[in-house]
Amino acid sequence: MARRNSLLALFAGTLACAAAYASAFLPGDPPSWSPWALGIGTAVVMVSASALGAARADTGIGRLKLPFAIVFLIVAGGLAAALSMPAPDAADPALFLGLPAGAAVVLLGIGLLPLLVLPIAYALTFEEMTLSEADLARVREAARAWQAAQRAPAAHSAASPAPEPAEVVA
Amino acid sequence: MALGMMQTGDLPRLAQPTIVAVAVVYFAIVAAIGVWATRRTKTASDFFVAGEGIGLAALTLAAMSATLSGFAFIGGPGLVYAAGLGAMFLILPASVTSSMTSWALAKRMRLLGEVRGLITVPDAIGARYRSPAAQGLSAVAILIAVIGYMATNILALGLVIRAIFGTDLTLAVWIGMAIVLGYSVAGGILAGVYTDVFQGSLMAVASVLVFVYTLKVGGGMAGISTTILENDAAFMGPFGKMGAVAALSLFFVFGVGSMGQPHVIHKFYMLRDPRKLKWYPLLVTAALLVTMLLYFGVGVAVKALVAGGQMQPLATADDATPLFLLRYTPVLLAGLVFSGVAAAIMSTVNSFMNIGAAAITHDLPVAFGRRVGNELLWGRISTVVISVAAAFLALLPGALVAFLGIFGWGLFASTLVPALAIGLNWEGATKEGAVASIGTGLVITLAFETLAYFNAYRFPTGVTVSGLSLVLSILVFFAVSWMTRERAAAQLDGDVKLVMSV
Repeated sequence: MARRNSLLALFAGTLACAAAYASAFLPGDPPSWSPWALGIGTAVVMVSASALGAARADTGIGRLKLPFAIVFLIVAGGLAAALSMPAPDAADPALFLGLPAGAAVVLLGIGLLPLLVLPIAYALTFEEMTLSEADLARVREAARAWQAAQRAPAAHSAASPAPEPAEVVA
Repeated sequence: MALGMMQTGDLPRLAQPTIVAVAVVYFAIVAAIGVWATRRTKTASDFFVAGEGIGLAALTLAAMSATLSGFAFIGGPGLVYAAGLGAMFLILPASVTSSMTSWALAKRMRLLGEVRGLITVPDAIGARYRSPAAQGLSAVAILIAVIGYMATNILALGLVIRAIFGTDLTLAVWIGMAIVLGYSVAGGILAGVYTDVFQGSLMAVASVLVFVYTLKVGGGMAGISTTILENDAAFMGPFGKMGAVAALSLFFVFGVGSMGQPHVIHKFYMLRDPRKLKWYPLLVTAALLVTMLLYFGVGVAVKALVAGGQMQPLATADDATPLFLLRYTPVLLAGLVFSGVAAAIMSTVNSFMNIGAAAITHDLPVAFGRRVGNELLWGRISTVVISVAAAFLALLPGALVAFLGIFGWGLFASTLVPALAIGLNWEGATKEGAVASIGTGLVITLAFETLAYFNAYRFPTGVTVSGLSLVLSILVFFAVSWMTRERAAAQLDGDVKLVMSV
């Protein structure tokens, strides 16, 4: 289910980006929704691609739901804020960490905050969600079976399918 | 995220004894690493995937070095100076892309490499879809993009060498080519990886030091912002002077497209222990962000210096980094950065040489049902051939060289993201979908970039060929896979299915 949902989100995000590009070919100025579709669509594609890769058949994306949701909110919310904010005003240069508000949202929010979420979530859930010792053992068993099949060309030519995991994994 | 755009304009002359000395020491260290690696390169596996024996630190620095070309140090700051903060959307996705690529590709590529003994990126496509056609087509796309990219990178290296040593450009291009070729042919990717470790460290240190100087010269970040806001407030807007669609298009192409850069994802095969991937996203993201401080810092600092009347407006935007370094940093640091620029270009060229040679020696023969007898020997010969071809292309008129380099990133992205990054995570994907999406990426990118080059067609503001071809290739991949979905299960080998399921 998690993979299916991730694929649907990835497809929908790509469609949003396609719509944004398509709107640029219309006569006149691009519609006001165009940058929104491109920005939010890109955020959807990036987070759903991560979720698609992380999803497992048995447990879905498990504890990663929260970090993915946070990063989506940071990126999509940051882009939405940047699109909504007024242009910086030289007469009232209110700065946040040395930057005008819009620039701070983009540079520190989108450009920096995900570093504190995604890579750490990846590391903390690595054994549980990405690669456990049992996973590795199963894959290495499959590798040995495939290599054995290659050494016996009469039984398994290069064109023939490799053995099913059920055949090679005890 | 990667910075594929390249330097094709001239640089100010930098020939000063300290800068020349630093560059000579740098090239000597690279040569020494090349000799060391050559002694350890005995098989095709050593040559193409470093014998699957590198550690996490080497993988991190090699991936970071391959990602960043000289654009990060020269063209990028120039783009910020010219276009304002909108240019930052080219590097902003870096906070997400390494994690995204790790989830989508790193584990599966590494495990697939272990199960099947794969050595190239098209190998993974061939194994995933049991399709020599998909493997061959992706190799063709890679080869076209590699030669174009290499030509622009070699020209950029020639421009840096000419600026440092004051030589003629043609000679500088061949000197640069000879240096990279020397260690790449002899030591293969093993030499590339360990020179990348040295080069990546150099790039990161130099970038941080230069960023400190930009803050010092500009009066801190607040001083820089205030000066620019008083003179050109639009520059400091979240999208700078680019417009929202143009900036967000960069974000899409350099964010999503990062999953299709073969010179980076190829390195996953090389990691000795796949469990070490645990800390890879954190390390490589941090390394990238640190190394790109220069990109941002020099761009805004030079803008503030010009706005404040302390510098004349630049003749060309690409002068931002050389002029800042020569005027505001110690000459030793300037020498380090210029060597860092050469380092960034050389590490990218080395990676391209390797995957281009693998496409010729390995992937294309496999697509036609053949195998090359001695892949190590032919890998070395292919490396020389494509490098010399790229060097000749680099010496063609400038506009054509720039054209060759433009489509590389988009071609990689549109041909590899759907078939590989989505396909390795979706059992419903089919080889028909993969072939159709790779073909779509190839045709759209080459056709529209050529039309744009000859001014036969101009895209609306904000729309890029790279973005359009990436979007369309993903949609074609979904559509054709869905239409041929009844064939999907039969195209998936058991061991590949296992790798996709863990």
